[in-house]
Amino acid sequence: MRAVAIFKAVTKNWIRSRSGLFFSILFPVLLLIVFGAIFSGVGGSSSSNLFVQNLDRIGADGEPSNLSNAFIEALNATKLFSIRNVPSDANATSYARDALGPLGGNIRILIISNGFQEDLLNGTFKVRVGITYSTLNTTYYYFEPYMNDTEKVAFQQELVEIEKYEQSLPDRQTSLTLILDSSDQSAAVIKNVVASIANAFNYELIGAENVIQFNESSVTTTHFSNVDFYIPGITAAFIMTNGIIALTANTTEFKRRGIIKRLSITPLRKMDWIIGNVLSQTLLNLMLTAIMIGLGWLIFSVRVIPDALSLVLIVLGSIMFSGIGMLLSGLVKDVEAASAVGNAIAFPMMFLSGVYFPLEIMPSYIQSIAKVLPLTYFADGLRYAMIYKYPEGIYTNMAIVAVLAVGFIIIGSLMTRWKEK
Amino acid sequence: MIELKNHVFQFSLHIMLKFICVRCSFSLPDGARMSKAVVEVDSLLKQYGNLRAVDGVSFEVYEGEVFAFLGPNGAGKTTTVEILECIRPLTSGTAKVFGYDVTKKDDVREIKRRIGVLPQEFSALDKLTVKENIDLIGDMYEKHLDVAEVIKLLDLEDKTKERFENLSGGLKQRVGVAASLVSDPQLIFLDEPTTGLDPKARREVWTVIENLKKLQKTVFLTTHYMEEAQMLADRIAIIDKGKIVAIGPPQDLISEHGGLKVLVIRKGDKKLADILQGKYGQTILNGNGDVLVKVDDVNELWQVVATLTEMKVKKDIEIQTPTIEDVFLKVVGGRITEEGELRQ
Repeated sequence: MRAVAIFKAVTKNWIRSRSGLFFSILFPVLLLIVFGAIFSGVGGSSSSNLFVQNLDRIGADGEPSNLSNAFIEALNATKLFSIRNVPSDANATSYARDALGPLGGNIRILIISNGFQEDLLNGTFKVRVGITYSTLNTTYYYFEPYMNDTEKVAFQQELVEIEKYEQSLPDRQTSLTLILDSSDQSAAVIKNVVASIANAFNYELIGAENVIQFNESSVTTTHFSNVDFYIPGITAAFIMTNGIIALTANTTEFKRRGIIKRLSITPLRKMDWIIGNVLSQTLLNLMLTAIMIGLGWLIFSVRVIPDALSLVLIVLGSIMFSGIGMLLSGLVKDVEAASAVGNAIAFPMMFLSGVYFPLEIMPSYIQSIAKVLPLTYFADGLRYAMIYKYPEGIYTNMAIVAVLAVGFIIIGSLMTRWKEK
Repeated sequence: MIELKNHVFQFSLHIMLKFICVRCSFSLPDGARMSKAVVEVDSLLKQYGNLRAVDGVSFEVYEGEVFAFLGPNGAGKTTTVEILECIRPLTSGTAKVFGYDVTKKDDVREIKRRIGVLPQEFSALDKLTVKENIDLIGDMYEKHLDVAEVIKLLDLEDKTKERFENLSGGLKQRVGVAASLVSDPQLIFLDEPTTGLDPKARREVWTVIENLKKLQKTVFLTTHYMEEAQMLADRIAIIDKGKIVAIGPPQDLISEHGGLKVLVIRKGDKKLADILQGKYGQTILNGNGDVLVKVDDVNELWQVVATLTEMKVKKDIEIQTPTIEDVFLKVVGGRITEEGELRQ
């Protein structure tokens, strides 16, 4: 009950604070609207030009391969691009430059390499042979006790044959080349979308039961708009800032003004105080998510859907970042220092965790840094839960966030001083 | 006419002296000492490295009394109080509140249930109203008084829906007192309740403290204002550099340490000063032209007045009695500034 009283009081205090409301809700909403307006085509802006040169030709008449065509259709179905074909024998850059003319805008070219389909299928075939070998090996392990010697020998020979065959298959990887103008403001978004479609192809080809059905599967992914991709990222980023900046500053302010000391003189336990604050943060973050998605629906017709797993992730994220906020407020004494420390941690994390730009396009050292940042896993988890609906991606990230949440809330509560020295 | 004036003066003086005598013999604390001790502190020490913030203090606070801890900033007042409020650990010694030991976890829970606290520089959640802030503190206790009643008691009814951030300093302190009362505590700690307030707001808080006394609450007041301690407290402990240097009822302290009463003859002259010096000694002419005669007791006072009557001195006369400030000056060797700093 005491925790509920704290939750009510802290939440009311926050809701009535204009600056709190602005930075926690309004600012992320404005950011979403700005990003959405720039990248969604709202307001009459048409889709982005994308030149595609398909070098993957098969047969004597040089027809494009089925998979390369499917990839282009998938890009087309996003409705983000106005796709213009580049003849296979042309210099793609010169062609695009000529086609756009002197004021034609940024050059964006995707080159699908020769052998795209074959490499993709061979690569997939090798993976599938590997899976077959692994499955038979496991079967042998479990059923060996029930086999006679002849059966065992025959089985082992088969396994050896399959393994040899797998090793004989070449390692095939196919590549896509994306040429973008360095000054192109939309470059990050275009890379993000192309990378997402390529990921969907990888996933379907390697993990799906029916590779041939891949084209249909990939279509479901491509219904999402650019803003759909931004909503989980921006939401995750501001759940992080609510914990690391706002909660740190508020708690430090409460501490400075003796409010926490006043409460600690009552029978209120430290754990009640922490639970009350975490509940308040969770409510705030759920409100933020609802408002972001609601506005996305209204203005940008987004299709992103928060399911139960997304909500669980938001609760875990709220706990994790509240824990970090409490840890920081235990370390700093004054409000100015709390804001400075909060900003110094939150803003780099926001830009290094793949929230606004896909990590794939970043240098490898930044990708390494991203791996140790909690926001990376939280944002990835939310994206998987809200967009890709990819269970492994959801549960892996959720597990990491859950472990971090427990760890940080324990450290945060240890750092919350309930007694003077 | 002059005689009549002198008679009136003597009559007034007589009444005044009688009043002083009554005040002197009005030993509230004797009664208090018969009461149960709600706070018992023995050889309490709080040490930070080599610094002894509280240096072996021992005292008791009795049920129903207003006990003032008087001292400059850094004397150890708040440290002592926070040890008693169970939010600061002690280094050694014992401290008990209602017989419960402040160092024992189970006892701490019992103490926290029974005390109300107005911390130094009380603050609350800015965006919450007066009622919501008092409600919040009330909700921390298993049982609490009707918040509306507490608000009425503190005369805050007009401000119930006002946000805390919009209140004046005096009103904020009243909210703090209301929050400290909402759990219906038997003992209330008021830590520097009037520091930083303007005179009007300070008087408002004094009225509140007087009302607490009428409600038979035990009040533990810390202050650096002499006047406040003298006016409100039944007993005063003067603390300096972590040590209690004097403790007792204000009048006892004044009698013991305050020095002599002074008869002041306004706009006197050197001749008068010399005559009085010759007869009674301890007479000076100060820079304002006032003649000051220190008197040992009431008899001597009467004698001086009689001498003045005989000399037909037509001057304004007043008696200056020593105050707690004089006591403080004597036992600590300095004065406390408005900001609470000790000035030697």
